[in-house]
Amino acid sequence: MQIIGPDVLVFGVDDVPACHEFLTAYGLDAQDYTPEKGGLFTGLDGTGLEIRRRDDPSLPPALKTGNMLRMQVIGVVDEAALEAVQAELSKDRQVLRLADGSLRCQDDQGFELAFRVTTRKPLDMPGEKVNAPYHPARAANAIGVSEDMPARPRSLSHVVLFVPDVDVAVGFYRDRLGFRITDTLTGAGPFLRPQANPDHHTHFFIRTPVYMQGCEHLAFHMGGPTELMLAGSRMIRAGFESFWGPGRHKFGSNWFWYFKSPLGCNVEFDADMDIHDDDWAPREAPMGPEAAQAFLFQYRDKWAPTGGPGGPKP
Amino acid sequence: MLLCHLDELPDGSTRGFKVAGLRCKVIVVRRGDRVYGWRDLCPHYAGGTPMAWKRDAYLNGEGTHIACAAHGAWFEIDTGVCVQGPCLGKRLTRVPLEIRSDGTVAMATSGR
Repeated sequence: MQIIGPDVLVFGVDDVPACHEFLTAYGLDAQDYTPEKGGLFTGLDGTGLEIRRRDDPSLPPALKTGNMLRMQVIGVVDEAALEAVQAELSKDRQVLRLADGSLRCQDDQGFELAFRVTTRKPLDMPGEKVNAPYHPARAANAIGVSEDMPARPRSLSHVVLFVPDVDVAVGFYRDRLGFRITDTLTGAGPFLRPQANPDHHTHFFIRTPVYMQGCEHLAFHMGGPTELMLAGSRMIRAGFESFWGPGRHKFGSNWFWYFKSPLGCNVEFDADMDIHDDDWAPREAPMGPEAAQAFLFQYRDKWAPTGGPGGPKP
Repeated sequence: MLLCHLDELPDGSTRGFKVAGLRCKVIVVRRGDRVYGWRDLCPHYAGGTPMAWKRDAYLNGEGTHIACAAHGAWFEIDTGVCVQGPCLGKRLTRVPLEIRSDGTVAMATSGR
């Protein structure tokens, strides 16, 4: 199945203005936003988050757990791919075809899904370039960082779900929708990528009690680790609170920095994730601090050493 | 240990205070004439993690519960019991507070 991954994640929240404050600071563009109705918050390629009041009647039903995720809108490559999803899922459940052409159904654990031909717009923006000895990637005189350089989320990367039953989740996303398992953290769960997306994961499932079902975190891709560090540092200086990071994960190799959010889940910046094809042999490691990251740092205020005691001379 | 004066804590508001010797902030919630103190440690994970999504943002949208912005746990303001989310049934660690005659809010001496 030619699925690309989440185009939009829909949330029904209890504090829309707080989400606006957080997500615009995070670097998303607010579109058609009002404090009463919410709006769409997009990254540079048009993927994003739809934020509505939790009692908005246009939303699909809420999860019983209180988690604010209401739906994943999953992009596929074309109409033929959409028809393939419809044919497969219609075998054992109701799949609605809406007036806008999208499909609506539930997965096997009650997560609401929509499928549509993706509306993401591929970006013509270079990634971060690194100068290594004998192998410079930047042209002469091209500087690597400036205090005010743009550092905006480019594309919705992945969603991590707390699921009551990992086997049921895998049975749906792998066996019905054709996702590939790239790696597994035993004790937590598997990373999955859909066939039309080489990213190490668009989904990661974590086994939890039933009363936790929902979104654990979501992430957007940045252009590279420098953008990630700048964006996260700006968040901290604006008073937002880090949950985990910055650091670099082992599985997926992506740099990470997680922030708590009024969406009731963590919102992550990621950068430089591995890409894979079907030649990849999945790995396994027991979940824990050692497997979760190659290294981990914590933000600190700017500081500088100088020459002699007493600071720089005028 | 003085935390603030009631005048700096409008009714319904919540603030987090750094306290020397404590590895976490102390959350103070004011409800009318009462103040409630809790350690800023969500019991979802062993050892606890801080809960606000930005400075002093400890309550849910309606202001009815203390909310952890990491994974959505809600705690009763007066009992600290988690009523929704990952640490259902667990509770926050209370920090006993006292309001002194001059209106200052302080950690009760037995609270350390």
